[in-house]
Amino acid sequence: MAGPLAPTRTPEETVEEHGDLDRPWVTIVWNDPVNLMTYVTYVLQELFGYDEPTATTLMLQVHEEGRAIVSSGPRERMEHDTSRLHAYGLWASYQRDA
Amino acid sequence: MRPFRRRGDELVARLEPAEAGIVALLLDQLEQLLTAEAEDVAGDPVLDRLLPAGHRSDPELAADYRELTESALRAGKADDLATVRASLPTDGGTVRLDPEQAAAWLRTSNDLRLALGTRLDIHEDTEPPEDLASEEGQQLAVYYWLTGLQGSLVDALAAGRAGRR
Repeated sequence: MAGPLAPTRTPEETVEEHGDLDRPWVTIVWNDPVNLMTYVTYVLQELFGYDEPTATTLMLQVHEEGRAIVSSGPRERMEHDTSRLHAYGLWASYQRDA
Repeated sequence: MRPFRRRGDELVARLEPAEAGIVALLLDQLEQLLTAEAEDVAGDPVLDRLLPAGHRSDPELAADYRELTESALRAGKADDLATVRASLPTDGGTVRLDPEQAAAWLRTSNDLRLALGTRLDIHEDTEPPEDLASEEGQQLAVYYWLTGLQGSLVDALAAGRAGRR
């Protein structure tokens, strides 16, 4: 427990640290000219258990906007999701949520 | 080619002898690329596409990711490739796949398309070739042929999943 002699933090630092802890990581699929739209939809269903309409919406977002967030959570899980997408040849990466 | 169709739990297609020969050749080329010494293929755009960076702006995270995942990704690709090779009728004929083999064909045919597509600099608006006499025209024709083969496999697998619901 923090007593009166415990080091105090400036509010700025506290905000920053909390921001870092709370901001989740995301896995992104990027558009590429080779992967078939039907294939991307199929893989998103296969790997993440999305139903067909959800997977189609994400696929279209990739196709039309160039990228879509397909999962979010702790960094280790996003690394894992990215590698599962890479195993299927989807163009994926992970990063801290912007 | 007779494209993939679902027959019960199996996925079945038929390849002409020349088509099976092309697939066998492409599998050899993919294997050579994936098993090459690192210094011989450093910066190869196809390898960069098949084993891409996990993080785009942080080299340290990208290196961590590579260390964590690359050997498993390579092993998975090697397993898939061996599965496809073992189920490919080398002189043409019927391809008959159980669900596990079909998943390997799905991923490997995609890797072959990614490899060819990267070498041929495929864009969203690339058209099928008109000139089949040129080397590039022939490679482009192979790319579009593979697209048809993989597309039929995706459709058959997706229809199977929809049917299970």
